[in-house]
Amino acid sequence: MLKIEGLTKTYAGGILALNRVDLEIPSGVFGLLGPNGSGKTTFMKILATLLEPDSGAAEMNGIDLINDKHGTRRILGYLPQEFGFYPTFTAEQMLDYFAKLKGVMDRKERVRLVDALLDRVNLSHSRKQRLSGFSGGMRQRLGIAQSLIGQPQLIIVDEPTAGLDPEERNRFLNLLAETASEKVLVMLSTHIVSDVSSVCSHTAIIRRGEILAFASPRQAVSELAGSVWDANVSREQLAALKSNVNVVSSQMSDGLVRVRVISKGERLTEDFSPATPTLEDYYFSLVSQTNG
Amino acid sequence: MTSPLKSPFAAIFSAEVLFNSKRVAPYFLILLFTAHSVLWWGWSAAASYGWGTNSDLNIARNLGGFSFLLGLPIFNAVIMGDPVIRNFRAGIDPLIFSKPVSRAGYILGKFFGNFFVLVCCMSAFMLTMLVLQWFPSSRLVLLPVRVFPYFKHFFLLVVISHLFLAVVYFAVGTLTRNSKIVYGIAGAFYPVYISYQLFLLKNLPPSWRVILDPLMMGGSHPIPADKWHDADWINQIVVRYSSVMIANRALWILMTAVCLTIVYFRFAIAERPQQSSFSTLNLSTAADRVYYPDQPVTGDDSAKRDFHEKVGVVLPEVHRLTEGIRANLKRLVAALGVEFRLLRSERSIVVIMPLAVLISVLEVAFWQVAPDPTYSAGYAGNTARSLLLFMIGITVFYTVEAMHRDRDQRIEPILRSEPVPNYVLLISKFIATLLLTLALAGLVALITIILQAAKHNGPIELMAHAKIYFVIVVPNAIFMAAAALSLSVLVRDRYLTYALAIGLCAGLFYLYTQGHNHWLYNPLLFQLWDYGDLSGGGKHSYILWNRIYISGLAALFLSFAHFWYQRASGTAFRFDREPQRRSVE
Repeated sequence: MLKIEGLTKTYAGGILALNRVDLEIPSGVFGLLGPNGSGKTTFMKILATLLEPDSGAAEMNGIDLINDKHGTRRILGYLPQEFGFYPTFTAEQMLDYFAKLKGVMDRKERVRLVDALLDRVNLSHSRKQRLSGFSGGMRQRLGIAQSLIGQPQLIIVDEPTAGLDPEERNRFLNLLAETASEKVLVMLSTHIVSDVSSVCSHTAIIRRGEILAFASPRQAVSELAGSVWDANVSREQLAALKSNVNVVSSQMSDGLVRVRVISKGERLTEDFSPATPTLEDYYFSLVSQTNG
Repeated sequence: MTSPLKSPFAAIFSAEVLFNSKRVAPYFLILLFTAHSVLWWGWSAAASYGWGTNSDLNIARNLGGFSFLLGLPIFNAVIMGDPVIRNFRAGIDPLIFSKPVSRAGYILGKFFGNFFVLVCCMSAFMLTMLVLQWFPSSRLVLLPVRVFPYFKHFFLLVVISHLFLAVVYFAVGTLTRNSKIVYGIAGAFYPVYISYQLFLLKNLPPSWRVILDPLMMGGSHPIPADKWHDADWINQIVVRYSSVMIANRALWILMTAVCLTIVYFRFAIAERPQQSSFSTLNLSTAADRVYYPDQPVTGDDSAKRDFHEKVGVVLPEVHRLTEGIRANLKRLVAALGVEFRLLRSERSIVVIMPLAVLISVLEVAFWQVAPDPTYSAGYAGNTARSLLLFMIGITVFYTVEAMHRDRDQRIEPILRSEPVPNYVLLISKFIATLLLTLALAGLVALITIILQAAKHNGPIELMAHAKIYFVIVVPNAIFMAAAALSLSVLVRDRYLTYALAIGLCAGLFYLYTQGHNHWLYNPLLFQLWDYGDLSGGGKHSYILWNRIYISGLAALFLSFAHFWYQRASGTAFRFDREPQRRSVE
């Protein structure tokens, strides 16, 4: 269980990146969902010991993540949003180095571990290839491999699926889901809602540095049961709808606009039909409320 | 017809000027040159000998000196070396090259935009002198105020000279896309230029000597020894440019045009299919390379197909040793191995090391070495002194580069989140750079001994060589590497570190040459030792105390680096000019 209390961070110029964030996150895959600029990376960096908060506390398995940085790094696996490797190294050499830094000193164990990691992310056949020749997906997989070294209890991956094709993205999320267990918490930050609904056991929605909601995806969706409606409307009708109800999405199609709205309990007009709620509806309903 | 002011050339030109207006370097240069101008105005030969400080000869003399001294040829590289490189670094190149911008417009806009900034910086020296005419002092002789000579001499002696240097740095930076090579060349400017003067120009007829000199130093007006105190004679001189000097200026403008033409033909906006991995014009490291991949990027489709099946692979249980000296020593060795591997792939070493060795042994190779008191002491002492400048340059350069390499490769956040103490990350870089410097010293020592033997200046006393290298060179290298490391930790910006290091060294050497030379602030013992002191002479114990003193300082610097090194940002004050990210992401 990761407990976070009152985490606050303000950047120079008075930009409030995190505003007294309180969370209790159980093991499993946790998804932090929010639009660009909402404070996700700031949150992740603080937990990864790379950024000092102004105030607040974070604790996991008896380790103070804010003040005991060395202790935190011992249980941490971290994949930043933007990262790179030494281009002249091979995948094997790079993982071997990270394993040594993690304290895996026995050579035989290290070789077995690197083999298994490369196998797990399916880079065994590229083990001797220089990293300068790796594609984006291969580099991302190597990134997740290095974060798995040394049985970490807290794995932080910051927007890991950005730039991956849909197929690679699914596989990547599967890998994260497999890694999470009763003892391991995988924290995933993303602005792609479907990433969270695919693999996360819990999710939080963050906007302008504040946590708007914390729930399991199923709970979140069930909250909207019977409240989501969709219809094809004209542009003029859309403008009128926007001023009256919570329009969570709209999409142009054949000259009309396909809209999804949230309306608790009652159908707006005969044109609307009930729709199955999704996590995306939940996310947009919260985000659009705070926009207003 | 489109106005030239609305052409892509003008857009690129103005963007370069705008970009430079937001950098620290131009302001630093303006400040430095203004300060020097004030010094040269009030405390130069003109003040000492009573010449008119605004006499034509003094103006030309000061501007000629300014063009060569003060590190201006090196500062030139700071402005001109990376205009194209930074586009590739920032990843803005595809955005620019996908616009209807011609190669010529791009290259010329980049070159002249930055050269304009350089000229503005350099003009601070000239304009300060010009303005100071309105501030007379009782110590100084002032002739009637004049304006035109300042601009004339500035243009002919400074601007054109630096036009050629600028195009050299620009061409190398643009074609290699490696700023390290540019700075390597800039660092080698003084030795190369002096060697060029001594070994090539010196033996030519006077007119050729003037024509072939890019800085036209030989064309300056020498003052006869008996006229130095004759202020009237000096004040009435009007500096005129002979036809040979005009030919010189024309030649170097032509050379600039030739270099720009080469850049035009060699520079490719579009991706090239394949290029050999190593050539004299492609010394860029893999990270700097953009269009010349060693290996094609693979799509890796087969891997994707069975990626899902591999997810179930169980990772083996491993034992981790994360605490204690033994664990940290092992990790230090691992980090050191990585640093060595990275140093080995630094292609700038291929240029810098041979150059450093060559220049360091130049004097003993081509001139007669006097026994001091023995030939071995004379040879070793000579090369140890010549080596000093290179040792400072190489230590500072590779330490700072090693400190910033992880950030350049974007691996820094991963490394900083690893459970290793600061000193593992720092000492590995320190030792790697130190060993590189010691390898250079060892190579120079070896070649010195070989040269001594080849010139039959025997007997070869290995003890004399060893004494000089182990007592003077090795502790100096340790001190410099530690100082450079702590400076890098304190000042996290790469170029600010370079500027501070250069400024500090230049200031100290200036003090030493002015006679303010004490071992307390001369840790490298510049001009403070001779061989007699090392073999039981009068200053024997004094030298030993100095060595102990700088070893202590080195230890202090390393401790400071360990404690001050910030892995988490936002913890303490820092001299950092990283742009503040406006996005809270």
